[in-house]
Amino acid sequence: MTDATPLQLDQLTKRFDRDRLALNAVSLTIPTGSVTGLLGRNASGKSTLIQCAVGLLKPTAGHATTLGQSAWSLDADAKSRLGYVPQTIQLHSWMRVRQLFDYTAAFYPRWNDTLVRDLLRDWDVPPDRKIKPLSPGTLQKLAIILALAHEPELLILDEPAAALDPAARRQFLAALLDVASDSRRTILFSTHITSDLERVADRVALLTAGRLTFDGGLDELKDTVKRLHVTAQSPFSPDFDIPGRLRRQVAGHEALVSVRLASPDLLETLQRDHAARIHVEDLSLEDIFLEMQDA
Amino acid sequence: MAPVLFLQVSPASGVPIYRQLQDQIRSQIAGGRLAPGEFLPSVRQLAQRLAVNPMTISKAYSLLERDGLVELIRGQGMRVNAPTPSANGKARRQVLLPLLQQVAATARQLSLSPEEVFALLEPLLKESKHD
Repeated sequence: MTDATPLQLDQLTKRFDRDRLALNAVSLTIPTGSVTGLLGRNASGKSTLIQCAVGLLKPTAGHATTLGQSAWSLDADAKSRLGYVPQTIQLHSWMRVRQLFDYTAAFYPRWNDTLVRDLLRDWDVPPDRKIKPLSPGTLQKLAIILALAHEPELLILDEPAAALDPAARRQFLAALLDVASDSRRTILFSTHITSDLERVADRVALLTAGRLTFDGGLDELKDTVKRLHVTAQSPFSPDFDIPGRLRRQVAGHEALVSVRLASPDLLETLQRDHAARIHVEDLSLEDIFLEMQDA
Repeated sequence: MAPVLFLQVSPASGVPIYRQLQDQIRSQIAGGRLAPGEFLPSVRQLAQRLAVNPMTISKAYSLLERDGLVELIRGQGMRVNAPTPSANGKARRQVLLPLLQQVAATARQLSLSPEEVFALLEPLLKESKHD
């Protein structure tokens, strides 16, 4: 164990070909013990960010520092403390499940056999089965178990639950929570399934077209991003606006405004200035995600 | 022994999970379903049962502690405090307040006068007294 920040990105930029900027100067610090959900639409740069963080892609500019080392040149010790589940899973298809685990275990100084056995049993993966004909869901389970077995300090998962059915996803979340309950271990995972993220993550990083548009606590995000239904005494002017506004629709006396509230005082000011009645609607992470995307 | 708390979380609701837990535990204490001296489940137990991040549970617990509803007993966990009568009344009113706010908002939308709302509410309150 070291005291280094598990993952630090400084102005991380990745350009593919000439003109496709996949990541645009992303700076992000993932603190020890946190569970960070990486959210973004397709092609927003999530997988590129993750691949730079685990040393599979070389940044065009900026730095990715993983477990205190440059991600592009991690040594064997750092690699043994890092767990990674790729989005596209490639395993030695000619092996049997048990062989795959024996083979992989040989690369790591630590290996939790009990955990492997328990997860294979819970997830109904027969150890004597050949890898090749396994379903995408089962392959994803294997990749997750492989990434957990050496008890990594930093676990990075790229869309880990995409192919899992709801029951398997619950078991996967339980396994992640088990990791999360150890304050020395850190998790970064990308996902489309915002309800999973809401359960296990304490931080959210939001990527929009290669840029980091939010980085902070999940509760803070949910406590500050609201949809306001405002009804005023007199019609709103067409250029009616609120600080921190994300999206707005104005029609006569009524306005529907999604907003990132900088302070609760804003509501009082609004009430006073427009003699308005305000209904504050709480938003799910999915709604927040959509509001921030379209802002 | 930690009592079985009938806690539910709904991650997709707009309310942060720590607040969902805080509200439910507060109303269970106010309603007497969690008696003074009882212990809340450990953070780890509850995190596993509800499949949510342990830090979320810790946050809910520490906010309840800040409000004086529970107290951390070293090595044993979070113990429900005996409520002071005034605090208890306040807590119970706090549970009811969001529901009444909804009633008030809907009444305004329907253009019902306060008198009309009171007239509707009063028999309901008296009715429930009998059960």
